[in-house]
Amino acid sequence: MSNSAQTTTSNSLPLPDSIPSEPVSWTTDTIHIELTPHALNHQTATTFVSSPSAGATVLFIGTTRDSFNNTPVSGLSYTSYTPLALHTLQSIASTVLAKHSLTKIFICHKLGECPVGEASILIAVSSPHRQAAWRAGEEALEETKKRAEIWKLEKFVGGEGVWRANRDGVMGVRVEDEGMAEETAGEEGNVVASE
Amino acid sequence: MSYVKAPAGHFTVLYFAAASSYTAKSCEHLPAPVPALELFAQLEKKYPGIGQKVLSSCAVTVNLEYIDLDGEDAQHKDLVISEGDEVAIIPPVSSG
Repeated sequence: MSNSAQTTTSNSLPLPDSIPSEPVSWTTDTIHIELTPHALNHQTATTFVSSPSAGATVLFIGTTRDSFNNTPVSGLSYTSYTPLALHTLQSIASTVLAKHSLTKIFICHKLGECPVGEASILIAVSSPHRQAAWRAGEEALEETKKRAEIWKLEKFVGGEGVWRANRDGVMGVRVEDEGMAEETAGEEGNVVASE
Repeated sequence: MSYVKAPAGHFTVLYFAAASSYTAKSCEHLPAPVPALELFAQLEKKYPGIGQKVLSSCAVTVNLEYIDLDGEDAQHKDLVISEGDEVAIIPPVSSG
């Protein structure tokens, strides 16, 4: 890199809204979307989607993993284009809700620092029967990872960081260098289901 | 929108993730108007190498709408970025 000053992020301040100081959310009777700087609480998600008409609830919790290709990861930090990300998540939730005839759907993403072991994303869906809930939960997660305007800075022990890309075949841009094999070290999912 | 408003005769560009690393900025104001098709060339002049290293994999929004500039029939190839517009450089996303 001929000019390393242009490729370091450490001194570039986030946008005022890229990590909001308070949660930003959008709610209807059946959809809750939220971007928050606070720790995620999965009970909030399951409480929102619970309904007497829903026999199935699926909850996905994505948490920060402690390594990438055997390199210890100290933590992740997420930024977003908050107004656009909210809009995109609304669109994903509405589409998935209608397509799978869900009872309710909840999507919440953490912004800012996300230490190892902490949840970065919660997706909860409820539906009358389990098949729709399983499928819808997975689809909502995959669409979110593909489209939501949220970016992960992976921080390695020792201070180096890499902007990750979820899309196949797209290199993450390493903050101080380039050319690291691409594979996201983001969430390791925990799925809880009940019916 | 609470991003810093552009002064008269300017538009705002927001840089995220790798784009903000490369420019060492999260946002700036550039003189308007600029044809959308010339935006990347202008940024390349300001930040040599950004085109190939960053912009080639980025999408662009204008006032929260993605614009399509690829190909002869691209929907927004005649779009002009105007005073007060909010433009964002959107690198490949990585939520989850």
